[in-house]
Amino acid sequence: MNENKMSIRRKLNDFYGRDVYTSRLIIMLLVVLISMLILKPAKFFSFINFQTMVAQFPEFGLMSLGIMLCMITGGIDLSVVGVANLVSISSGIILKALVAADGSLPWYGILVSMICGIVIGLVAGVLNGILVAKFSIPPILATLGSYELFLGIGIILTKGKAISKLPMEYSSVIAGKLFGIIPVQLIIFVIMAGIISFLLSRTTYGTRIYMLGTNMKAAEFSGLDTTGLLIKTYALSGICSALGGLVMLANYNSARADYGAVYTLQCILIVVLGGVNPNGGKGRISGVVFSILVLQMLSSGLNMFPQISNFYKSLIWGCVLLIAMTLNYFSENRNRNN
Amino acid sequence: MKMKRILAFILALSMVFVLVACGGTKETKDNTGGKTDTKNKDWEIVVVPKDATNPWFVRMETGVKEYREETGLNVYQKGPSETDATMQAQVIQDLIAAKVDAICVVPVDPPALEPVLKEAMDAGIVVIAHEGASLQNCHYDIEAFNNEQYGAFIMDNLAEAMGGEGLYTTMVGHVTNASHNEWADGGIAHQKEKYPNMKLLEEEPRVESEDNGDVAYQRAKELLKKYPDLKGIMGTSSFDAPGVARAIQELGLVGKVFTAGTGMPSANAEILKSGVVKSLTLWDPALAGKAMIALAVKVLNGEKIENGLDLGIEGYQNLKFKEGSDKVLEGQGWIVINAENVDSFGF
Repeated sequence: MNENKMSIRRKLNDFYGRDVYTSRLIIMLLVVLISMLILKPAKFFSFINFQTMVAQFPEFGLMSLGIMLCMITGGIDLSVVGVANLVSISSGIILKALVAADGSLPWYGILVSMICGIVIGLVAGVLNGILVAKFSIPPILATLGSYELFLGIGIILTKGKAISKLPMEYSSVIAGKLFGIIPVQLIIFVIMAGIISFLLSRTTYGTRIYMLGTNMKAAEFSGLDTTGLLIKTYALSGICSALGGLVMLANYNSARADYGAVYTLQCILIVVLGGVNPNGGKGRISGVVFSILVLQMLSSGLNMFPQISNFYKSLIWGCVLLIAMTLNYFSENRNRNN
Repeated sequence: MKMKRILAFILALSMVFVLVACGGTKETKDNTGGKTDTKNKDWEIVVVPKDATNPWFVRMETGVKEYREETGLNVYQKGPSETDATMQAQVIQDLIAAKVDAICVVPVDPPALEPVLKEAMDAGIVVIAHEGASLQNCHYDIEAFNNEQYGAFIMDNLAEAMGGEGLYTTMVGHVTNASHNEWADGGIAHQKEKYPNMKLLEEEPRVESEDNGDVAYQRAKELLKKYPDLKGIMGTSSFDAPGVARAIQELGLVGKVFTAGTGMPSANAEILKSGVVKSLTLWDPALAGKAMIALAVKVLNGEKIENGLDLGIEGYQNLKFKEGSDKVLEGQGWIVINAENVDSFGF
């Protein structure tokens, strides 16, 4: 009996120790779930609430994945929201142009606009990659600059107005539900997360960007094509943002240069909370996914309390971010001491 | 050991969360408890403003709270933390998931809310809007007044200050904001009819203040430097005229350049008393909030909504449908504030 107990404890300890960040997030997730179970069981634990939550997070979840990749290389991508809006604006314009005279959208319309959107995201990402890798501009400055550029192009394309009155077909497919149950946005997110997870854990590309993030100089001297790797990474981030933008276009059935301006900070919060080291070289996709879930549940949960005004949200998220980074410092120290 | 410390941290954090949340729930019970006589006390009606911190919507919340105390209905205000169309849509999505009975919304960007409001209506939720005359997916939209008439009213105020002559331009929160643009259009139409000596600045006939006092101030400074002949700026959002006034003051143009528009009394007492701005116009957001809820209650009760509707709220006692619309209802809720009466409003 006693031995059995001991081994369970050791197993739990082992599990916690092996991936501190993910374990901690699982604990936070449980804390949020239990709090909601006590306080708002009927409202929170309803099918429609979970369906709403999993349809809400893909737009910023996809952008977080992009930032995660860049952060693993030791960089950052602050242009994600700019790319997303630029993509949703251009795809919106393409959709409107494809509408036939009788107001219906041809069958290939959705596909064409999505592919164009993804290509635009790819180009934007490659531009970021070239700025960072070829011209050695610090990623923060390079992507902040390109964010302004993408924002500017978006404003010019729309003249500052919203692109609206899009054909409903697009919105009803992308913001729809597969078999009436699974939100399509979630499927897009899961596919992209799956691809990135595969790239990071099963391909040499993944191993190399971790090496690159751990020590840029060492990676260079050991013959890695750092320029190519960085451009690929930022391009991938651009594709993630593009998908985020396509999801936004469907969710709001309109596009505007300044939608989702608060997502940049929120995505950084998610990535750091998920245990990705801002200095590069460390981070797992599972951590980021759990961190997305925790924040989404906190955010939707808070909306269920009439008495907690949403201006506490910034305060709570700021605290969560600082606590996460402080805890990361302690766990790093423990690793070093061991 | 380290693990325990970390666990302690997380437990402490969660306790704070639980405590805050508990405090909140108790308060609701105190407010709604004891009034079991109303048959519909279980109705949950939520007002969703553009954001939670803007003084305009803080004032709206006072009205919402008053309504709750007067009727005992479970009504409350829940807005996004920042003026952002995506955040607002998410608040509404969460409310749909929470199965509230009615949503009263002041949209940031009407087109962005259409899909989510459609979802709400499909779920059987009553949707009432304010300042969103272009919305398709709502049961009714309440406007404090006829937008063109209010725009003309602002223009009268501006023209009076400008002496009925000179170059002017218009400022709106966002060029996508339906009401702001209708006021501006109404103002321009009224000017063309009544003040032939005034002229609209054709290079930039409509600028955006992004519902932000600092942006309004910057835009006004840019405009006044770029166009030295500019004599008046017609503001619409509650941030426009005060921001423009700051620019007028700073550039030493008091008495040469004028502005008029919407503004809150308490925030503008100083500029009104010092004469930088002669008069501001507004309607009371608290009453607008109450009117939205009162209309939602009527719709929930299944009452017939027709011309001449009386919501029992000042300025909303004789609502009329806007011409050619069976959704947009207009009241007579405007007021003027100037140096004399600015202190008498209490907000």
